[in-house]
Amino acid sequence: MDRALDTRLDRPAERVHRAGLSPVRVASALALASWAGLFWFLIGSGRTSLYLSSRTDWVVPVGAIVLTAALAGRLLSLRTARPEALTRREALAIGLTILPVVTVLALPPASLGSFAADRRSSLASAGFSGDAGDISSGEVTLVDVASALRSGEGMQQLTKRAGAEVGFVGFVTRDPGMPADEFLLTRFLVSCCAADALSIQVRVVGAPPGRFEADQWVRAEGLLYPLGGEVIVDATLVEGVPRPDRPYLNS
Amino acid sequence: MVDLARPAPPRTGSWTNVLLLGGGLALAALVLRAIDPGRIAGLQNFFIIFGSLLIEAVPFIVMGAVVSAGIEVFVPARAFDRMAALPKPLQLPVAGIAGFAFPVCECGSVPVARRLAAKGLSPAAAVTFMLSAPILNPIVIASTYVAYRGRDTLWPMVLGRSFLGLMAAMAVGWVVAGRSSSEILRPRPDEEHHHESGPRWSSFAGHLAGDFLFMGRYLVIGAAAAALLQTFVPQSIIGSVADTPVLALVAMMGLAFVLSLCSESDAFVAASFVQFGVGAQLAFLVFGPMVDTKLGILYSATFSKGFFRMVVLVVGTVTLMGTLWIEVLVG
Repeated sequence: MDRALDTRLDRPAERVHRAGLSPVRVASALALASWAGLFWFLIGSGRTSLYLSSRTDWVVPVGAIVLTAALAGRLLSLRTARPEALTRREALAIGLTILPVVTVLALPPASLGSFAADRRSSLASAGFSGDAGDISSGEVTLVDVASALRSGEGMQQLTKRAGAEVGFVGFVTRDPGMPADEFLLTRFLVSCCAADALSIQVRVVGAPPGRFEADQWVRAEGLLYPLGGEVIVDATLVEGVPRPDRPYLNS
Repeated sequence: MVDLARPAPPRTGSWTNVLLLGGGLALAALVLRAIDPGRIAGLQNFFIIFGSLLIEAVPFIVMGAVVSAGIEVFVPARAFDRMAALPKPLQLPVAGIAGFAFPVCECGSVPVARRLAAKGLSPAAAVTFMLSAPILNPIVIASTYVAYRGRDTLWPMVLGRSFLGLMAAMAVGWVVAGRSSSEILRPRPDEEHHHESGPRWSSFAGHLAGDFLFMGRYLVIGAAAAALLQTFVPQSIIGSVADTPVLALVAMMGLAFVLSLCSESDAFVAASFVQFGVGAQLAFLVFGPMVDTKLGILYSATFSKGFFRMVVLVVGTVTLMGTLWIEVLVG
């Protein structure tokens, strides 16, 4: 063996071998890039509000920045003297990590609708006050209705506003056996993400029969009448509207 | 003769697998487009819940991975000697209360606890910290306060949750006390990749990516299971047991397991179950942050066989006993 080669063999392997791309590191960079890209996409497209409340949407820019920094670190260390092999099993596991990114990007933007309203909890009357003081004056909003629905005192305050003019935006849901000129105007209240959504519902009466389908977003204007544990809007105007930029209300 | 100037080549098929990965994902996108889940209400609901759970949890997982990689690369093993020098009866309470200083959800605390145990902290202390952090952190205490503000049960809920959470975490820590980290941690097949030579930042990047991908895959499975259950199991089915004393507590613990909510938001959901008493709502708030569908998957991947079953049993027992007492005292 010549002397030069002998000397090289005494050095650490990584100094002897020229660095090459590692398939494992390339695949992990792909996963980090996918997630970082998703968070930047959510920021750019404004779709965060389809998944998170305004109280927690700060996690999206934080996720975008941290994942981008992690990606930069991974990209700068893609090469190694001993490239690790990517097995089929590892490729599948990394693919599984990226799959949710594909689903969010490939599917059209949508928010929870009448299917969820049938299966999730709704706000119902209970023995605590919430922010009932806000209900007694000013414009009545769906958040006020939510406070009233979960508060005995709030419902009393709302009852004093019977006959007040209101305008609510929500989507249409129907109970079986409901008259054709009635529907439930529904909106979800979200604390952190859509997984903790609770529905708020008001019964709209006097709507044009058969004009509005389930899940259609509408604006209903009319007079408000709290009755028992239910809130009714005697409609003077019901019109279709586009889905709001923020489809969920925040508690 | 071998040309030593060339890099050692990866095994045959490695680059094919990278291509298969990219091709498979592109195919998945095409299939999703063709199915158009918007036409199928249940499928659309599933994807919204699935996406929202992950979009909220992934930043916490990656922050947990940053802390975990930082501990591995920058914190010397002797840093935990001071903790080990504490009298044994003090170690678990100190580890539990340390959760107060780590305001992340439960997903972020799992990789940190694993790294702490691997780095030399006693596994009992690491597990106690992992279980208490999602309940004792200030954001969770504040959100519980806001959710129950104005109710007669405000302080029993806020204080009871913190106290029972700490007790349950310490009970699990006490059960695993005496076990070594090799006995409690499950070996990770991908970990050999992370021992990357070179500068510290390169090693840090390797650990960060490794922890994120390892936790991420199990989080995806857990979020899918939780979204499936949320989509197809109506929440109204548990309402029928609201008046049955012990069954109501168990039902709310089961619901917390199924829903897999973030501990920072679960108080608002618990507060909506007004047909249930204070004990049952408290059971939901104590059990859920320590034991749920997605955590079950994460624990099973991180810890040795039997760990998850033990956590369910211990946390379940402490929660049940504690909430029964609180219901007797307050309810």
